[in-house]
Amino acid sequence: MTIPFEFKQYTSILKSTGRRAKNLRELREGIATVSKESIFHHTYQYSLKAHVLEYTNDFAQWAGESIEERALSERLSNIDPYAFKDIDGLRNELIKVIDDYLGSFPEPRDAVPGDEFYFNEAVIFIFPAGVRVKNLAEFLMAIKYIDASSIYYHFYDARTRLGGINDFSKWLENELGKKELSGKIRLIDPFMHNIEKIREHISELLEAEVKNDMEAIK
Amino acid sequence: MMERYFGISPKGDLLLIMRLCETLKNRTFLHINSTRSGGGVAEILHRMLPILEEIGIAARWEVIEGDNRFFDITKKIHNALHGRTEKITKDMWDYHFEINKKNAERINLNADAVLIHDPQPVPLIEFRKSGRWIWRCHIDVSNPQKDVYEYLRRYCERYEAAIFSVSKFAKAMPLSEFIIPPSIDPLSEKNMELSDEEIKWTLNKFRIPADRPIILQVSRFDRFKDPIGLIKAYKDVRKYNDCILILAGSPATDDPEGDAVLSEVKEYAADDPDIYILLLPPFSDRDINALQRASTIVLQKSLKEGFGLTVSEAMWKRKPVIGGAAGGIPLQIINGVTGFLVHSIEGTSFRIRQILNNPDMAKRMGETGREYVRNNFLITRQVRDYLAVWYSMENKGKSILEL
Repeated sequence: MTIPFEFKQYTSILKSTGRRAKNLRELREGIATVSKESIFHHTYQYSLKAHVLEYTNDFAQWAGESIEERALSERLSNIDPYAFKDIDGLRNELIKVIDDYLGSFPEPRDAVPGDEFYFNEAVIFIFPAGVRVKNLAEFLMAIKYIDASSIYYHFYDARTRLGGINDFSKWLENELGKKELSGKIRLIDPFMHNIEKIREHISELLEAEVKNDMEAIK
Repeated sequence: MMERYFGISPKGDLLLIMRLCETLKNRTFLHINSTRSGGGVAEILHRMLPILEEIGIAARWEVIEGDNRFFDITKKIHNALHGRTEKITKDMWDYHFEINKKNAERINLNADAVLIHDPQPVPLIEFRKSGRWIWRCHIDVSNPQKDVYEYLRRYCERYEAAIFSVSKFAKAMPLSEFIIPPSIDPLSEKNMELSDEEIKWTLNKFRIPADRPIILQVSRFDRFKDPIGLIKAYKDVRKYNDCILILAGSPATDDPEGDAVLSEVKEYAADDPDIYILLLPPFSDRDINALQRASTIVLQKSLKEGFGLTVSEAMWKRKPVIGGAAGGIPLQIINGVTGFLVHSIEGTSFRIRQILNNPDMAKRMGETGREYVRNNFLITRQVRDYLAVWYSMENKGKSILEL
């Protein structure tokens, strides 16, 4: 018997660490010493924002917008958090990029007062979204209309929980036997799209699969 | 439970409230502030208490009492926290404490969670009896007068947690600090849908003609809201566009400077028949709602601001908003998308003209603003956040909570 897919909702409540950085050296110090939760919040959870792909994490955004160091911003944006085994690996890469920059460019200016970088972290609440599906057509409808935070939880966050897989692919393969479809969804790069684009991609793949299934003569 | 918010508030917020209530139901939640009318804090509490009760939380709201001297002192503290230079003597601090002590004798401070709003009642922590005590700071303390902040900090650090509206208001303190923006209630008299007839009737009541675009600012008469700067910007706009300016505000019982500022504003606007200065009595929410809906552009030209909820109120009514880049206003206005952030009188006048001359852009901004408020600034989100903070304090040390 098929185990239904239960969509979960993901809500985060913001917490301040009380730390701030007014220039790049202080940002580096902060990145080196803040909690893992804070690094996680400013990088992985950036995907929760309805952003365009100019930046991919809060550090890059601050470097680009507040101290106007565009080259640094590009380098920080190019760091894919999903390429690291753990937060400390990601933390070290962020520090390395900043150190390289500080070593080869003139000292950047301070941010104007009020525009400093504020290190935050989040308390995360995960709970059922009240939507359960048991076949491909229901799954397609749910993907189209479910809250964006559910997509984040099952597609982005799952990678850090399950080690590179996402919940959707896992269920499609294990419960519906859709190995090929599962693989296609798995190939969508979370780092290259915002949540709404991911929703669109998955919907397109599901729609094509539902159509194929309906055409098939059994 | 809360059915009237179904289809208005995001479903996820309502679901999380229900989940959290399974644990927090029947527990007591005490709010204490310094005024029952005027200003954003009282307004939110008026709306939030019934919601909390409806979902099964035993919520109570108490107001500290004080004389003119006490409120003069707390106004000075308020100004100093906003960065203005004020002299608070040892005597004044002692009086601040003494009045709080008297209130502590009068108010039942027993509750499972106690939320103390702003600096006026902050010394009540000295009389804590039970429960989890949280200090809720609504004001912009990003650049406070140092000695005043340091004095208050002694009280703040005795709390178990603090809540600030914006990240940059938070300070390095040895307690949990949460960031929770305030909110508006879409079903309150101030934000509910109104008929065109009622909007017209309200304009008639104040003898405001409906034949020209209306520019509106709703706020206390307070120098930090820069009413004079707004009139200057308006006078500049009038060189190019025919329009009306309305400055509307209610007096607050905890703001002794209001009368002086109102006189200054009246004097400055004296000879202009198209500037309407409305001193509305407390609880004029329906009139404010109608004025906002009748407006073409809503302004919140604050120089300092706690959060500036009038921005969200106007965005909810699909109005483009021009706001000073202060306090929580940049969190609400996405510059160029839901309105404009301004840093000067000249900028204000330029943006007013830009919107007046581009009705299509104004409409687009209004629609985007409404959806942005729905997702981020409705009261159900704030109820969710308060309960979530309380729940997370009961589960200290956990950063992921599965319900």
